[in-house]
Amino acid sequence: MTTSTDRPSNLIDRLYAYFDSPRRQMLLLVGIVLVLAIMPLFMGRYTTTIMTNALLYVVLALGLNIVVGYAGLLDLGYAAFFAVGAYSIGILTVQFDWNFWLAIPPALIAACMAGVIIGGPTLRLRSDYLAIVTLGFGEIVRFGARNLEITGRASGLSNIPEPNLFGYVINSYVDFYYVFLLLAVLAVIASHRLYHSRLGRAWLYVRHDEDAAEAMGINRVRVKLAAYVTGSVFGAIGGIFFSVNLGAISPESFSFEQSVLILMAVILGGMGKIHGVILGAFIIILGPELLRELGELRLLLFAVIMLLIMLMRPSGIWPERRH
Amino acid sequence: MTIRMTTLATAAALGIGLAGTAQADDHEILIGIQVPTTGSEATYGQDMFNAAELAAEEINAEGGVLGRELRLINGDSACDPQQSVNAASNLVSRDVLGIVGGYCSGATMPTLKTYGDEGLPFVITASNSTQLIPANPGNAFMINSTGADQSKKAADFFEAQGVERLVIIDQGDSYSQDLADLTAERWESMGNEVVRRETVNKGEQDFSAVVSNVRSSDADAVFWTAYYADGGLLIRQLRQGGYRGTIAVGDGSNSPQLFEIAGGAAEGVFAFSNPTADFLPAAADFIEDYQAEYGQDPGPYAPLNYDGMKLLAWAMEKAGTTDSAAVVDALATADGESWLTGPIRFTDENTLARSNFIILEGEDGAWSYYDNQ
Repeated sequence: MTTSTDRPSNLIDRLYAYFDSPRRQMLLLVGIVLVLAIMPLFMGRYTTTIMTNALLYVVLALGLNIVVGYAGLLDLGYAAFFAVGAYSIGILTVQFDWNFWLAIPPALIAACMAGVIIGGPTLRLRSDYLAIVTLGFGEIVRFGARNLEITGRASGLSNIPEPNLFGYVINSYVDFYYVFLLLAVLAVIASHRLYHSRLGRAWLYVRHDEDAAEAMGINRVRVKLAAYVTGSVFGAIGGIFFSVNLGAISPESFSFEQSVLILMAVILGGMGKIHGVILGAFIIILGPELLRELGELRLLLFAVIMLLIMLMRPSGIWPERRH
Repeated sequence: MTIRMTTLATAAALGIGLAGTAQADDHEILIGIQVPTTGSEATYGQDMFNAAELAAEEINAEGGVLGRELRLINGDSACDPQQSVNAASNLVSRDVLGIVGGYCSGATMPTLKTYGDEGLPFVITASNSTQLIPANPGNAFMINSTGADQSKKAADFFEAQGVERLVIIDQGDSYSQDLADLTAERWESMGNEVVRRETVNKGEQDFSAVVSNVRSSDADAVFWTAYYADGGLLIRQLRQGGYRGTIAVGDGSNSPQLFEIAGGAAEGVFAFSNPTADFLPAAADFIEDYQAEYGQDPGPYAPLNYDGMKLLAWAMEKAGTTDSAAVVDALATADGESWLTGPIRFTDENTLARSNFIILEGEDGAWSYYDNQ
């Protein structure tokens, strides 16, 4: 365990230590957002599209980070929340002709309910068992979507209408880039506020020692449920805008690999640390894209690179250090 | 040390990633091949890519298109909607002049918009969900038949066989139920009667209830719309139960494995199938070339992708330019020219104007081509 008095020996850690001060962190973040905001002006369609994708994963990974990183509850079925958001919008707009904006509140309520459903029974479980139940939940949602009439069964839902914002139709890839940039910024702010809130502290205690936390007067059940519900709302928001961005959703988008990918972003970047998770999300999405030239070898090489990262930096690229 | 290794790995990754992003020169025509070469469907995807490559090599050997050489770019869709959009925008950004491929309808769907925005000609060779039709902005052309075509083929076949009392059996999943619904609808619209619909559970071993229902309904044809594993058992038990009428199976059951499961009972069973190379009269040379080049047999969608590549090249040649709008117009005029998988002509919705389903018959423990025309 590194304490604040230790002088970090290697260059990367010194760099991170430099950004430990809130002021510099703020500057760094504002700088990044500014760069991202002007990027589409001189980037092509491809770069903009994959950056949009990376920003979606920032939202998703930050959501999962609340469950896994903050509260310490391993979740292998996070794609289920993503699916609930996407399918709620799909069903309401396609099957019932609802307006997109009106469909958002029901979608969020559905996600909260999903969070309670998965959170409730799993509260008494720990580690391995929790992982298995969440894995099962993820698969149940996907198989449900695959077989129900209302979700379009195996072929999914298509022709999801593009959202109309005061007469402006959000439909080009640049529009969606800005939508996801805005969502990612909001997610970062929300994560930051949650981390420093009373609830964030409670999550930290529960993560370190549940029994001690309870003895200190923390309502374990309520705190864990809050983590699931908050995480599911992040996931659903990602799903909501994902569905209108693609215009079509199908069960393949919400597979187990998807859950693993998001979890990987959290672990690779550094659990619990917002910067780390953002970095992780970008690596997970941009890595395979940068290697696209290699054809069928790309995933192999990407896996090797990730193994190397995990070997070099076992607690993530930019891990949490809470004193 | 740690730093050096990490830096090296990152540098290597970036280097590899950025290498080879060179754009086309004037002597080349870039074509995007959108197929899944990673993930669960990679076998089919690689096979389709090989077939397109074979077609492009043949075209280049004969002088290319408009005097320019074709160069293929792999757009790996991974059978995943997000990845396919990434692949599609990658292809668009690299200035491809046309796209061939499309496997996994769910992954093809969102790319219609990506290519549609640019008006690029897109020949869809495998994906055949009817949902693609309304989502098509007009620049995409489907050269594989849809589920509606299979049901039509089936209904026409039963009529030609003089069937009067048809029983349709499905497995309750999306694909088999859909095919059963479409066929029943079609069959009834032709003034015939479906005497019984049955749904069995996946993995069921004992079909005696279904068999006795079939027997008591006095059926003269049974259509199994689901997959070979359960279909084989059903066929065996139908024959053992004394049913003597026609048995036909959908394209989920056209696997050679059906014979291993059903044994002798599969003799004389009919199957509807996409045009696989083995049963295409014109494909002998193609199979030989493919084997020589890649050391394996062409897979189920190889002929379609081969045709897709050739069709796009033909359209560019016909338009006399690689201008997207002109090539799309040229594709729309395809008028029954002969290809590996048969003649191609498009409907107003840019779908194949005929059914490309072929009929196979079980003979001596293998499928053989059955021509009912």
